[in-house]
Amino acid sequence: MSIHPGTASERRAPDTHTETGAKKRRRSPTRVNPALYLFPLPAVAIIAFFLVMPTLQAFQYAITDWNGFSAAFNYVGLDNFIRAFTKDSLFTNALTNNLKFVLLVVIAQTAFSLILALMLTKNSRGSILLRALFFFPTILSSVSVAFIWKFIYDPNFGLANAVLGTVGLDALQGSYLGNNAQALYWVAVTQVWFHAGQMMVVYIAGLQSIPRELYEAAEMDGAGKWQQFKSITWPFVAPATSIVVAYTTVQSFKAFDLILGIAGNPPKSSLDILSTRIYSTFANSEFGYAAAQSIIFMAMIALVTWLQRRLLRLTPKGE
Amino acid sequence: MSQISRRQAMALLGALGFGATAAACAGPGGSTAPGGATGPAAPATGNVTGRVSFAHWRGEDKAVFDELIKRFAAMHDGVEVAQDISTSNDYNAQGLQKVRGAAIGDAFATFRGAQFKNFTEAGIYTELKNSKAVSNYQEGLLSAGKSGESQLGLPYQVVFPMPMANVDLFDKAGADIAPKDWDAFLGMCEKLASSGVVPISWPGGDVGNGGQLFNCMIANNAPVDDMCAQIEQGKLKCTDDWFIKMLNQYKQLVPYLQSNATGTAVEPAQNLFSQGKAAMLATGSYHIAAVRGLGATFPIELVFPNTSDGNGKYEGAYNATFILGVNAASKNQAAAAAWIDFLSEPENAGYYANQTAQHVSVKDVEYTNPDLKRLSPWLDKKTALAARFQFQNLDVRNAVEASATAVISGTSPEQAADAAQKIVDERL
Repeated sequence: MSIHPGTASERRAPDTHTETGAKKRRRSPTRVNPALYLFPLPAVAIIAFFLVMPTLQAFQYAITDWNGFSAAFNYVGLDNFIRAFTKDSLFTNALTNNLKFVLLVVIAQTAFSLILALMLTKNSRGSILLRALFFFPTILSSVSVAFIWKFIYDPNFGLANAVLGTVGLDALQGSYLGNNAQALYWVAVTQVWFHAGQMMVVYIAGLQSIPRELYEAAEMDGAGKWQQFKSITWPFVAPATSIVVAYTTVQSFKAFDLILGIAGNPPKSSLDILSTRIYSTFANSEFGYAAAQSIIFMAMIALVTWLQRRLLRLTPKGE
Repeated sequence: MSQISRRQAMALLGALGFGATAAACAGPGGSTAPGGATGPAAPATGNVTGRVSFAHWRGEDKAVFDELIKRFAAMHDGVEVAQDISTSNDYNAQGLQKVRGAAIGDAFATFRGAQFKNFTEAGIYTELKNSKAVSNYQEGLLSAGKSGESQLGLPYQVVFPMPMANVDLFDKAGADIAPKDWDAFLGMCEKLASSGVVPISWPGGDVGNGGQLFNCMIANNAPVDDMCAQIEQGKLKCTDDWFIKMLNQYKQLVPYLQSNATGTAVEPAQNLFSQGKAAMLATGSYHIAAVRGLGATFPIELVFPNTSDGNGKYEGAYNATFILGVNAASKNQAAAAAWIDFLSEPENAGYYANQTAQHVSVKDVEYTNPDLKRLSPWLDKKTALAARFQFQNLDVRNAVEASATAVISGTSPEQAADAAQKIVDERL
């Protein structure tokens, strides 16, 4: 039985039709025009110069006692890393503050932005206006936000105490940032105010993808609001939650500009977090030690993000 | 064009990566520090021409320097001075890195203490011992710019890190503006409080400005003049009796500070004082211009919180700061040195002083600014050189000063001292 050549050619790729074509197919993955390798070179050079080299240098500095300006330095092995965890209470204090801050902000910001999104999902005029209002802080610079809130918290001239005084709640007036036990919580409030609008948008996108029919069916079946949230809403917004949590975590770890703007430089110990501590260490001419702290910082963010991804594999039902 | 295999391409990229790694591991520092083994040399001489970069952190003085630059340029054809101004925090953290390559800072300023030491060790200064400028300064005020036998920098400003006082409120309360001992100082605060004003406005929420009071509190308490250096070296301790006594005196100040003082930033503290709600602002004379800018019209004096029993060694505290230098790596040292000489002439230093409301270390300056005139007698009093700038390690300095803030927020002096000493011990 003969086969029509045209039919065969339709089944085959054009370069496999002949012997020459078959050779070309074997060679093409391994032999290419070298000029093609020139195209990624600018990108490779930029990455090498601005990313790889500084990172490698940071690793190198981290094992020296270099002070940042002297030509002389010694290799000290892992001493800087050991010092951070065993002989430097300022570092461990900053680490504790940072973990506390991340936990506070992640919980509060996730909950608050989800609540906002649930309240403002409908496309009514009022909702759109409120969404814009809640989103507004996101477009401000962090330094502006820090200064605005610094004055809100001021115990003598600040808005917070003034409002409490006006409504007769003088007893609740406080020192806010001056109170070591509370200061971190107040900065966390600012951080949530600053970024919740952005996270609200992520949630709204998730909520608007839920088919209305599901709620209608649930209502017909007699499901209450909580039951609807648990069985319909949450499974659909769960993936958004893992994005929100991961983003908020990284953001809270690196709240450097907000802390420095609101608490001044150097921040007092109750507001010192890892990024501000690293900055202080650089300013203190301990370049090698600061580089080691930076590597610990980088490793911590990577570890926490990885753990979150492992623990928060939140996907919609059916996927 | 010949073709290469993917493996060859990978090897090439790997080699590039290895090269980058090797370059990264070339060693920190790199360049040889200027100066060399023979010590700093005098600035090069030559024509005063070309562009001079003047690096400093006093943005508030820009207009005054602009005028001085005009006058300097009028004297020398073809010379240009450009101000490279950073914020004080940035200058503290990055000034050395910026100036060492001489991309900026042919002439530059440094803070007294750790920054001056770092610049000295990096060999950035030239020797100004035999310069024309040195002879214009008061001999006793040059020490902050010395390193061994060398005069590397010229401390330009003289500031008094002591509480400023609203003389009108003191008169109204009948309070003694020059208390001779600690009891008299507390008595003075009591009278002010009874008259219905806050005796002391203290920016405890601002580490830098809040720390200035420490210079006064420690001056007559410490057993030696280099007390902060000795604390850092472990020879004296925060847990020593004299230090605890000082912290107890801080505790006695609490009723006379504004409420929530540890949460007050510097601007609100200035406002309390400017508006006449507080009788004293516990920062320093360097805030006179800011306070006048906020509308204060009352006469201003300085008050020394004398912690002694009447036999104290010092009547006040001062700081010689804004140390001028010529960059050893500069390619235009002649013009940079001429600019420093120009700033050091009494007429020009006087212009700077009167316009910025800052005293200067230059001799024979005529102070026409009413505030400076009023405070000029302090230049001749027995004042202690501000002690907090003896600390070379900023973590130690912040920890020791934070012990005072902790006491004001309610921690016991012993606990606060222990916490500070722990940080000091970790850094010994």
